[in-house]
Amino acid sequence: MYKTILHLAIKNALLRKTRAALLIFMIGASMSFMLSLEGLYDGMTKNMIDMNLRSESGEISIYAKEYRLKQDIRYSIKNAAKIKEDLAQIGSINSVVSRFKVSGLIASAKKSYPSDLIGVDFKAEEEFGKISEFIKKGDLNLGKNGCAVGKELAKNLKLRLNSKIIFTTQDANKNIKSKLLRVKAVIQTTNINIDNKAIFIDIDSVRNFVGVDHGSATQISIRSQDKNLEQKLKAQYPKLDVLTFAQINPLLKQMQDMTVVFNTISFSIVMGVVFIGILGVMYVSILERIREFGIMSAVGYSYSNIRLQVILESLFLAILGFLLGSVLSLVSLYYLNSYGLDLKEFADGMQSFGMSSVIYADIKIEYFVRTFYAIVFASIISVFLPLKKIKKLNPVDVIKAES
Amino acid sequence: MFELALKNILFYKGRSLTTFLLTFISATFFVVYVAFLDGSHESMLKNSLKVYTGSMQIYQKDYRDEGGYDYLIYDNKKIFDILENVDGVYAYTSRLETYGIASSKSESSAMMISGVDFKKESKISELKNALVDGVYQSTQNCLYMGQDLAKKLDVYLHSEVSFVGNAIDYSFAADIFKVCGIFKTGMYEFDSSSAFLNREYFDDLFYSHNTSSYIAVTVDDLSQNNYLAQSISKKLPKDIRLYTWQELMSEMVEAMKVDSIFGYISISLLFFVIFFVILIYGFINISARIKEFGTLKSIGISDTQIDKLLFLEVFIITMVALSLSAIIGGYCAYYFEINPIVMEGMSEMYKDYGIISDEIPTVFDLFTIFWNLSVILFLNLLSVLYPIYYVRKFSPIEAMRHV
Repeated sequence: MYKTILHLAIKNALLRKTRAALLIFMIGASMSFMLSLEGLYDGMTKNMIDMNLRSESGEISIYAKEYRLKQDIRYSIKNAAKIKEDLAQIGSINSVVSRFKVSGLIASAKKSYPSDLIGVDFKAEEEFGKISEFIKKGDLNLGKNGCAVGKELAKNLKLRLNSKIIFTTQDANKNIKSKLLRVKAVIQTTNINIDNKAIFIDIDSVRNFVGVDHGSATQISIRSQDKNLEQKLKAQYPKLDVLTFAQINPLLKQMQDMTVVFNTISFSIVMGVVFIGILGVMYVSILERIREFGIMSAVGYSYSNIRLQVILESLFLAILGFLLGSVLSLVSLYYLNSYGLDLKEFADGMQSFGMSSVIYADIKIEYFVRTFYAIVFASIISVFLPLKKIKKLNPVDVIKAES
Repeated sequence: MFELALKNILFYKGRSLTTFLLTFISATFFVVYVAFLDGSHESMLKNSLKVYTGSMQIYQKDYRDEGGYDYLIYDNKKIFDILENVDGVYAYTSRLETYGIASSKSESSAMMISGVDFKKESKISELKNALVDGVYQSTQNCLYMGQDLAKKLDVYLHSEVSFVGNAIDYSFAADIFKVCGIFKTGMYEFDSSSAFLNREYFDDLFYSHNTSSYIAVTVDDLSQNNYLAQSISKKLPKDIRLYTWQELMSEMVEAMKVDSIFGYISISLLFFVIFFVILIYGFINISARIKEFGTLKSIGISDTQIDKLLFLEVFIITMVALSLSAIIGGYCAYYFEINPIVMEGMSEMYKDYGIISDEIPTVFDLFTIFWNLSVILFLNLLSVLYPIYYVRKFSPIEAMRHV
C-alpha cells in the first residue's frame, strides 16, 4: 500500500514537469545563494577573529590590574616569567607568550607618528600565532637594532626596508629615552592595533630600553581551547586581570554575534519565501486534481492515505531542490573557500577597518543540516492548507461537479 | 487591452494578491534598507569631514607623499588671496601640524600639536563645539587638548605640560604650556593624540609665520565641492595641489563602497527568491489559462498582443505595489532622516572606526527611491518572459485542447 502511495506521489510530483523544475530550481538556487553568503560572512568574521587571536590577544590574556585603563609600564606584571613558566605546565594550554608594550613617538627622517613599541619573543610568537605568515616584506632576521613595523605605520611614515627610525618614550624612571631602529620587516595582520601602530623588537631589548626587570611583561597571551581555563586562571591569579578574547575585543565579539543574527534573519526570510513558493505549487497541484482525489476517496482511499501521498509529493520536490542546492552550494562554497572573493580593489578601505581584502568562505556541515530541516519543515507545512480542502471533500459531489 | 488586463488581474485574485504583496514588501524593504545604508555612510563621512577634515585641503605638491617640513606651504597669503575670490567657499584656514613628546609631571606621550587660527577654525571644524571644559579660544601658551590625551598625561585644566619637538628649521622647539581647554570629538585616535595652540604663539615658537602644513577649506554646498575644487585647482600655483574630501578620506570612502556592495548582495538574495516565487505564480496562472489564450489566438489575437497583455497584467500589479512602496518606504526614509534612530553607546563601541555619533539617519533621495523601485519593476517584468515563451509554444488548436 505504502509503496503504491510513494509511487503515486513521485509520479504526481513530476506530472507538471516545468512547474516542478521551476520549484526545484528555485529551492536549489536560493539555497546555494543563501549558503554562499552565509559562508562568506562567517569566513570574514572568522578571519578577523583568527588574525586577532594570533597577532594579539590569544583566547585569554593576562594583564596587571589597571594596565588596560592606564596603558602605562608602571602597571606591568612583575613576575611574568614565573607565571609564563607555570602556565606552560598546564596541559590544556597550547601556547603562551609574554609581551612588553610601551607607547611613544616614532620619527623617520621626515615624519613623526604615535606608535607602540612591542617587545616579543619571535620564536614563541611563531608557535603562538605563526608571526612569519604576517610578514609582507623583509624577514625576521632583525639583527641588533632591527625591527618589524605594521604595514599602515610603514605607509604613513613612507618607511622602506632598512629605513632608520627613532622611537622616543618615557622609561620606568620617567626619563625621556630614544632608540634608533632599522626597519627589517613589514607586518600586516589586519588587526588595526598592530598594523597602524606596532613596532616589534626583541622583548629583552625593550626591557633594557625602558629599564625594567627581565621577568616583567605588560601582557601574557594564551592559546587554549579549554572553556574553563578563564575561571581556573582567575582563581590562580586573583591580583591580575584575566580576560577572554571577547572581553578584550567586544567589537569583534559583537560582529560575530551580529553575523549570526543577520544570517538567521536572512535564513528565515529566504525559507519563508521558499515556503510561499512551495505552497503555491502544491495548492494549485491539489486544486487541479480535486476530481482525482474524489475518485480515490470513492474507491476506498482513506484521508490519511491521501494526506500521506500529498506530503510525500511535496517532500519529494523539496528534497530534489535540497539536493540540487547542496551540489550548487558545495561548488560555490568550495570555490570561495579555496580562491576567496577578491576585493583587492578596495584593499586600503577594508584594511583600515581590519578586514582582509580577499574573503574566504567558511564551510560548515550545519549549514546543510539546518537547511535540510527547514526545507522539509516548509514543504510539510505548505500542504496543510490544500489538505484542508481535500478533507472537506464529498467524493460524490466532487465527481459530479467536475464531470 | 488595458481593460482586459485589469479584468484578468481582478479575476485571478490569488496570483494578483501574491505578486502584489511580495512586490510591495520587497520594494518597501529595499527603499528603507538603502536609505539606512546610505544614511549611515553619509553620516559617518559628514561627521568626519565636519570634525576636522573640511571638504577640501590644499597642500604643497609632495607633502602627502613625502611629508615633513621640506614640503610645507611657504606662502599662505597667496593661497588665501585666491580662495577669497572664489564664490561658494564658505571658510578656509591654515594649519601647521607637528609631532613631539609632551610630558606632564608624571606622564609622557606622543602628541600632535597644531597651530590654528581659533576664530577661523570654528567655521571649518567642530573643535569649538567639542569643548568639554575650560575655554576654546585660548591665547599665549594655552593648549586646547583632547580629553583622552589629557587622561593619558594625567593633566587637568591649568596643569602644565612641557613639549619637545622640532621647529620648521629643524632646530629644537620646546616650551611649557598650560592646559586651558579640553575637547572631545568622539574620534578616539584624534582625542588621544591632539592638542591645539593659537597660531601667533605657535608661529613664534616654530618659526612658521605665513607657513602651513595645509589649508583646509569648506564650501557652502557640499554637492558643489568637486566643481569648486576644479575651479580652485586651476588658479593654484603649479607646486600646490588640492585634494577633495573623497581623496583625503579615500580609505573610508572605499570601506563604505565595500559595505554598500555587501549590503546590495545581501538584499539581492531576497529579490532572487522573490523573483522565482513571482515567476512560479505567474507560470502557474498562465498554465491554467492556456485554453483562454487558445481562444484569443483563434479569434485573431496575435502572439505579440498576448505578450502585451501578460506584460500589462504584471506591470499594473507591480505599479500599484510600487506606488504604495514609494509612499510608505519614502515616508520612512524621510521620517528617519529628520528623526534618526539613536543607538545608545554605539559611538563608544565603534570609536576606533571613526563612528562619533549614536544616531543612524536615513537619506531621503528621490532618485535613489526611483532606481530602487525600477530594479523591482525590472525583475517583475523579467519574471513574465518565461511564461510568455511558454504560451507562444502553443498553436491555437493545441492551446484550446490543453488540459
